[in-house]
Amino acid sequence: MTSQAVAAPRRATAVRRFRIAEHKLAPWILLAPSVLVIVALRVIPLFLGAQYSLTGDGERNGVFVGLDNYRALLHDRVFGIALKNVGLLFLALPVAVAIPGILATFLFLKVPGHRFYRSVYFFPVVLSPVIIGAIFNILLSFDGPVNQLLGRAGLGPVDWLGNGKVAIFSVIAVHIWATFGMALVIFLAGFATLDQSLLDAARCDGANLAQTVRHVVIPELSRTIQFVFVTTMIGLLTGMFGLLYVMTAGGPGGATYLPELYIWITQGQMNSPALASAASMVLFVLMLFVGFAQLRLIKRATKEA
Amino acid sequence: MPTASDQTPRWFRQPRRSWVLAALAPLLAVTAGACGAAAPEASGGSQGAAESGKLVVWDWHSGDAKTKAYYDKAKTDFEGKHPGVEVEFVAQPYDQYYTLLGTAIQAGKGPDLAMFNGGAQLRERAASLIPLDEKTKDLSERLTGWDAFKDKGTTYAVPITLQGFPFYYNKSVYKKAGLDPEKPPASLAELKADCAAIKKAGTACFNLGNKEGLGIEFFLSGFAPGVFSPQQYDAWLAGKRDWSSPEVKQIFQLWKSSNDEGWYNQGVNSTAMFMDQFTMFSGGKGGNVIGLISDTAHWKDFDEFLGPDLGVYQPPVLNPANATKTYLPAEGGIGYGVMKWTKNQELAVDLVKSLASTDALKLFYGNAGAIAADTTIDTSDATVPAVKSIVSWLPDSKPLLHTALSAKTLDLIHRLSQQLINGDVTVDQALTQLAASDK
Repeated sequence: MTSQAVAAPRRATAVRRFRIAEHKLAPWILLAPSVLVIVALRVIPLFLGAQYSLTGDGERNGVFVGLDNYRALLHDRVFGIALKNVGLLFLALPVAVAIPGILATFLFLKVPGHRFYRSVYFFPVVLSPVIIGAIFNILLSFDGPVNQLLGRAGLGPVDWLGNGKVAIFSVIAVHIWATFGMALVIFLAGFATLDQSLLDAARCDGANLAQTVRHVVIPELSRTIQFVFVTTMIGLLTGMFGLLYVMTAGGPGGATYLPELYIWITQGQMNSPALASAASMVLFVLMLFVGFAQLRLIKRATKEA
Repeated sequence: MPTASDQTPRWFRQPRRSWVLAALAPLLAVTAGACGAAAPEASGGSQGAAESGKLVVWDWHSGDAKTKAYYDKAKTDFEGKHPGVEVEFVAQPYDQYYTLLGTAIQAGKGPDLAMFNGGAQLRERAASLIPLDEKTKDLSERLTGWDAFKDKGTTYAVPITLQGFPFYYNKSVYKKAGLDPEKPPASLAELKADCAAIKKAGTACFNLGNKEGLGIEFFLSGFAPGVFSPQQYDAWLAGKRDWSSPEVKQIFQLWKSSNDEGWYNQGVNSTAMFMDQFTMFSGGKGGNVIGLISDTAHWKDFDEFLGPDLGVYQPPVLNPANATKTYLPAEGGIGYGVMKWTKNQELAVDLVKSLASTDALKLFYGNAGAIAADTTIDTSDATVPAVKSIVSWLPDSKPLLHTALSAKTLDLIHRLSQQLINGDVTVDQALTQLAASDK
C-alpha cells in the first residue's frame, strides 16, 4: 500500500517533467527550420566568404594569402570609386527619406485625390529594376524624351548616363523614384499609430503646421523614421545592382560603380572570386557599421528635447 | 490519478505530435533538396561508361532559332556515333555567361563542354580545360583560327567560327554625301574627308556605342593593321607591347579626336554597342561601322536591311610609313573546350568534333551568317558581295590585337576609352595606366 502510494506521485512527476520539456522544446522545434535555413544559407556562407577572402586567385587559388586581397582593394582605383559613391548615397539618404515622408504627410492630411496618389506612388515598387532601368534608358538617352523637353525649353542636352559627373546622380534619382513607395507605406503605417489627442492638443495650444510636425509628428514617428532610414540606406547599398547593371554597367569610366557591382564584375568578368569575397566582407562590415551608427544617430535626432 | 494530458482526447493529442512533424517537414524538405542538388551535377557529368550517360554543353547560342539546325545536326552526328549517350545543350544568357561559368569552375562542377570566346576569356580559364592538341590532330588542317584558343602554346578549345573586324559602309549614305559609293576610304586623308562630307550631309560618319566600353576594342584591333608595321604587330601579339610607341599613341589620339571632330552619333558613352550601335547602322543612320564576322552584327544581319547598299572594306592605311597595305584583323571567334572534371573526356572530345564537323558548320554559316572556321566550306555561291570579299581576305588576315590582352587590362581599357571621350583623362595618362596594367 505504501509502496503504491509512493509510486503514483513519482509517475505523475515523470509525466509532468516530460510535459515541461515538451513545452520548452516546442518553440525551438518551430524555430528550427528557419534557424537552420539562416545558418545554412547566411551564416555559414558568411564564414566561408570570410575564409575565402584570405585565399588567392588564379595561380594562387586556394593558397592562404593573409590580407593580400584587402591590400589590393586599398589600391584598387575602381573600388575606391565604389566607396566614394557610397558616400554619395549617404548624401542622398535624407532626400530618399524626406520624399516619402513629405508625401506620406500629404496623404495623411488627406489632400484631394489622396487615394489615387497612394496607389500611384506605390506602383513603381512592384516593377522589376530591370524594367525600370530599361524604361529610364529610353527616357534618359541622348536623343530621348527628357533631352527633347530640355531642347524645347531652350536648354542643351545632357548625357544623363554617359557623363561621368552626372550618371551616378541619374541612377540614384531613378532608384529613389523606384523605391520610395515602400518607405511611404511604412510612414503611413506610422501615421496610423500616431496619437490623435496629441495633435488635437497641439492644435488647441495654437501650434502651426511646422511646430506640429517638429514637436509632435517627428517624436511620435521616431521609431518609424529610424526604421525607414536604416532600410533605405541598406536598399541604397545593396538594391541598386539591377538598375546599375542595366543603366550604366558601372560606366562611364567606372564612375557609377558601387561595391555590389564591383563584386559582381570582379567575380564574373575578372575571374577573381577571392578578391570579390574580400570586397563582400568590406561591404558587410560597412553595412553593419552604417546600420548601428544610423540607429544611434537617428535615435538622438528624433528624441524630443 | 489521471493527468490533464491523459484526459486530452486522442484526436487532439495526435495533431500535437503531427505539428512537430509538420514543423520538421520544411527542414526535411530543405535537407532532401540539398541532397537532391547534387543529383543534377552527377547526371550532368558524363557517367564514365563508354557508351552511356549524358554530356552537358553550355553555350549562349543553342536557344537561338538561327542556330537550331546547327545544333540539331551536331547532336544527330554525335548520337549516331554514340547511340547510348545523351547530349544536353544549355543556353546561358551571354551577359552572365562567364560569371556562371566562373562559379561552376570555383565549385569544380558544371558542364562537360563549354563554349568560349577566343583570347582573354579562354586564357583566363585555361586551367579548367583539358589540352586538346593530341586529341584533335585530325582537325588541325581543316579548321583555322586555332591561335585564339591557345594558352602558352597549348590548345584548349576547337574553333567553330572566325571573328574579325571588317569596316562595313552604307553606299546610300556615301552617295547622299556626294562621295563615290564604290570607293570607301583607303587612307587617313580620305577617311577624314569622307567623314567631313558625311557629317555635313547630316549623318554620323561612324556609328558607335561605347556604353560597355567595347568600342575601343573594335577601334584598336580594327585600325591597327593600317598603323602598325608587321613587326610591331607580331611583337604585340607575342606579348612585347610598347604602350608608349607613336603608333599606339596615334590610335588612341584618333579615338579621342574622331569623337571631338564629331564622327560619331551623339552620346556614345550611353549608347549600347549591342545592339543600338548596329541597329543605327542597319537603319541607315551612319555611313560606316566596324562590325563582326562571327555570331552577330555581321554581313548577313546588315544585308537584311541594307541589301545592295551594303559595302565592306579593309582597314584604311593611317600610317603609310609603317603600313603600305592592310589586311583584315581576324582570328578564331568562338569554340568549344572540354572541362577538366568531365569523366569521359574521349566522349566529350568526340562531341566537340561533331560540333566542329563540316556539315554542322555549313548550317551555322548558312543560317546564322557566321564565317565558319572550316576552310573546306564553299562560300563561292554566296549572293551577298560583302561575304565574298571577307572570305577572300581571310588568308592574309592576322589575329586581333585586343584579345591578346588580359581580362584585367581589357577592363581598364574599356573604362579609359570612356574617360578619354569624356575628357577625364589624357591620351598619355591612359597609356601610362595601360602600360602599368599590361606588365
